[in-house]
Amino acid sequence: MTIRLYRYLQGFVMMLTSIFLLQKILSGNLDWYIHQRFTPLTVLSVIVLLIVGLIVFRAGHNTAQDHEHHDHDEHDDHHHTVSGWGLLIVLIPLVLGVLIPAKPLNSDAISGKGISSAAPSAAGSSPVRFDQAADDRNILDWIRLFNSDDSSGTYLGQSANVIGFVYHDPRLKDGQFLVSRFAIVCCAADAFAIGMVVDWPKSASLPADQWIKVKGPVQSTQLGDQKMPLIQATSVENVQVPDQPYLFP
Amino acid sequence: MTSSSVQIRSKSRPWVIVITIGILLVIGTSQFPILEFLPQIWSKISVFATIFLGIFIEAIPFLLLGTLGSGFVEAFVDHDQLQRLIPRKALPGALTGSLLGMIFPVCECGVVPLTRRLFNKGLPVAAGISFLLAAPVLNPIVILSTSAAFGWGWMLVGRLGLSMLIAVTAGLVFSVVKSPGEILLPSQWLHREAIPLPILEPSKVSRSFREKLNQMAVIAADEFYEMGRFLILGAALAAAMQTLIPQQVLLQVGRGPVTSVLVMLALAVILSICSTVDAFVVLGFVSIFSPGAILAFLIFGPMVDIKTTLMYLSVLNKRSVIYLILFPLFMSLLAGLLINLLIA
Repeated sequence: MTIRLYRYLQGFVMMLTSIFLLQKILSGNLDWYIHQRFTPLTVLSVIVLLIVGLIVFRAGHNTAQDHEHHDHDEHDDHHHTVSGWGLLIVLIPLVLGVLIPAKPLNSDAISGKGISSAAPSAAGSSPVRFDQAADDRNILDWIRLFNSDDSSGTYLGQSANVIGFVYHDPRLKDGQFLVSRFAIVCCAADAFAIGMVVDWPKSASLPADQWIKVKGPVQSTQLGDQKMPLIQATSVENVQVPDQPYLFP
Repeated sequence: MTSSSVQIRSKSRPWVIVITIGILLVIGTSQFPILEFLPQIWSKISVFATIFLGIFIEAIPFLLLGTLGSGFVEAFVDHDQLQRLIPRKALPGALTGSLLGMIFPVCECGVVPLTRRLFNKGLPVAAGISFLLAAPVLNPIVILSTSAAFGWGWMLVGRLGLSMLIAVTAGLVFSVVKSPGEILLPSQWLHREAIPLPILEPSKVSRSFREKLNQMAVIAADEFYEMGRFLILGAALAAAMQTLIPQQVLLQVGRGPVTSVLVMLALAVILSICSTVDAFVVLGFVSIFSPGAILAFLIFGPMVDIKTTLMYLSVLNKRSVIYLILFPLFMSLLAGLLINLLIA
């Protein structure tokens, strides 16, 4: 590949990447991949990629005019030619992103990542709040309440009102399922699944990954070797996928 | 446009990572008869794509910041003046060298050619070796990304402090060598008139601000592709591992205070992730591996991995490369083990 063509392609692929990111932002899917707090950085990337892409594209144009000048820059066996490897590889995420329909992490991801009742010790954790109204707690709040040391069980019997997706853990008894969420610190790569066991007679009829709202008093139970919160559901209703499917510790 | 050749020229072996991903895919899919479980495989691919794109999208701003910073330095900063500020004595030189990354915000991909050029401009050995090992961590971008991933906690302090310690010690060890000519490959030590070092030429008065801006953008683009491919292949490998290998398997391998460190050191080499984003990638392993293992990964990864080893070999002689691999390996292993023993 000549330097000129290489510059053209470099600029072109950078602009494509910019458009790809812009599409993720505009479609609202960006939150499926990274923590909300990084969204401004992605916006910045869209702009920078576009500008640098344009300059490099132009540089390719100028290379065409004074090509002789640049010959001494290319060493040894790479005279006049450069490898297209980098270009091809940078295209991989774009191709994947276009070919594979975007989906937030779901119960299929739990089989690889596992589900844990251990609250994250990860960065940015706010302290456990006991004064929070039971109705306002999400699954993460409940799990952290369960894991805090001085949880003398004051919250047992309080009524939960949580949203999550259905996960059928093979370790559960009949008539039970897990209402689950993924929590992320930074991006989908560090996501970990958390969940609460739900007692619900019609559990088996709930399809995996269905988003539901579960209400009912909270008890304690044992799943494998972990202590887990259990909701004795009084109502389970289908809901839309929330705008923000993940929770942030 | 003068510097474009530097990044393009460095030879790499993305095949290593591609083949590893292939093997992982085969292992992963061979557990089930493929035809019967097509939907299952499809759902795995979907999970893979989400995790992979997560790492990629997360890393892009930091990658751009690093490449633009590098481009800025090369286009606008006068290297001659900078070089006069470096002490020639071993310890002050090594200390200064280890902190040069604060001015040259390069990751481990950019540091090798830069060190070579600085050596040829008269940078002392101790400072150069410390710079080579420390700059990929002790620079503003990596500090920013590590703190974004881990917060301003002991993980960040441990990463910076131990990286600097290892780099400075290595610089002192190498200071027994008097001239960079003794550690560089003969072809890389030809003094300035023989080796083409266009970027280090005193800034040409004729070059306008606009031309410099263009040069900066072009360098940034070159580095974006040069580093981007290692980032993307590394992210794909990490995502494939997360998708295909059940956590239980890794837990069993990675649970011990000793084996976990060994596994993460091996991962640091195999993944070959750019230091500007490795903190994000390793977050995925935080719940699986011991803290000492995570720290060892964060210290060792920027110093030695597949791509840097290849780059070292293209610039330095074999003996120096062996030292540059074994010394950080030993020190990171020691650090990881000590942390695990102290915490446990």
